[in-house]
Amino acid sequence: MKEKEAYIDYEPHQLMLYVEKDDGTFGPMITGSHLSKNYIDDYFEKMEKLRLSLLQQLKDNLISPVEYYRVIHDFNVFELSKRTRISVFKVKKHLKVKGFYKAKVSDLIKYAEVFDVPVSNLFQVIVVEGRDSETKNGIPDENLYKVLQTKTQNLHLVITKFESGKK
Amino acid sequence: MIIETFKHNMAAHCESGTLTALLQHKGLEITEPMIFGMGSGLYFGYLSRTPNLNFPMFILRTKPGKLRKKVASRLGIKFKSQKFRNPEKAEKELDSLIEKVIPVAVQVDLYYMEYIPEWERVHANIHFITVIGKEGDYYTVSDSYFPRLAKLHKDNLNKARFAGGYLAPKGFLYYIDSIPESIDYKSIIKKAIKNTINNMIGVQPPFIGIRGMRMFGRKVLGWPKITRDIDHLSHEIMKINIFLEDQGTGGAGFRFMYATFLRQAAQIFNSPELEGLSKKMMEIGDGWRKISYFAAKIGKNRDLGPDKLGELSNMILERADVEEQFYKELKIVVNHLN
Repeated sequence: MKEKEAYIDYEPHQLMLYVEKDDGTFGPMITGSHLSKNYIDDYFEKMEKLRLSLLQQLKDNLISPVEYYRVIHDFNVFELSKRTRISVFKVKKHLKVKGFYKAKVSDLIKYAEVFDVPVSNLFQVIVVEGRDSETKNGIPDENLYKVLQTKTQNLHLVITKFESGKK
Repeated sequence: MIIETFKHNMAAHCESGTLTALLQHKGLEITEPMIFGMGSGLYFGYLSRTPNLNFPMFILRTKPGKLRKKVASRLGIKFKSQKFRNPEKAEKELDSLIEKVIPVAVQVDLYYMEYIPEWERVHANIHFITVIGKEGDYYTVSDSYFPRLAKLHKDNLNKARFAGGYLAPKGFLYYIDSIPESIDYKSIIKKAIKNTINNMIGVQPPFIGIRGMRMFGRKVLGWPKITRDIDHLSHEIMKINIFLEDQGTGGAGFRFMYATFLRQAAQIFNSPELEGLSKKMMEIGDGWRKISYFAAKIGKNRDLGPDKLGELSNMILERADVEEQFYKELKIVVNHLN
């Protein structure tokens, strides 16, 4: 690929390509990602749609919170089992609502660790100004409110702090 | 402290980029494409039945770690490497190496690299970064995919080094012990190219090499049957672009980088035939890039009916034909190199 055809102006996502330079030599160039520049909105839309659909299923008690996060993180049952060190049999049970009710707290802590959220977020969805948040650090770029969730030495306890009016 | 003498550069691929940076720091003048080519990194595989994968995927380079091992054995480089069971011991060892002014490469789960934009951060245990300093609770890391040196909290680095799952890093770290005084580039290059030819057109399982490409071309037609809905299908189709371009390949699924390797090899051998083939590989890469752009476009437009998937399939099958011919020609040329 010729260098001038390869250049994409997109600073947030840079990558290195090997290209044919004007003098015919081959070498590296730093450019932007074509996909991120042109299609990132579509990715966010798809992810948001998926998240809302899963959240609705969660509200309707059709899936367990473990299943919710499993799909968000794109793990299959085997990968989740390996990462949490919980047997495949038990993971399959915990993906269902009935099985989740019987899960041990120690298992939930393992799930929360792998999903990178406080364990309390397996039981709650925090909503600020109509935008619900289950992420570990609350809402990014939120000017009106900021939600900070901080883990403590006690694995079961998380401090959720709302800050308002900060820019 | 920070190892000031370490020079951070972006690279096309994390494994070859990390390795190249460490070797350059140690005083060896070598480029990333040479490392990639001499480690026979170019590969193709279509994985549809791996239990750890949620969805079929294709791979474009050899298994993580293989490149480094091949470069080590072929070039005579001595690495020191270690895996750990205990995260505290792993952290201690890393800290003590940095104290000794030794840059250390570590294997991590990309998800925990907090400096990378959120949308790029996926769970992949096969990422490599170089740790070059520590100040308080933050490590200074050189990541080939990031334009600048970055800060990474020690908790995140520990999580990333001890993430479980497929290809779990288990705290793996390595650094360079010694490099040889002289390297016989010619014989290594010949051996490496032959190895790559064998991976692509030699006797391999049906999902590897050119046969793997053809399998990919055929199987993509059946993807609508194994996706949840149109959005899921669109997501998986657009991931073709990510695998070929954005996931550290140097463009066109490593083809541009391999073309650069062949060009540099042609200069070492003073071979116009090899130079011609490097140009051809660049053109092959252009074809793959067309595929990745096409996949992104039809994915975005949700234009994923049998016609468009058929078109995509044909483009992949055509690449397989062109590449098969290319490796046959390369085989003849490499056998006559002096």
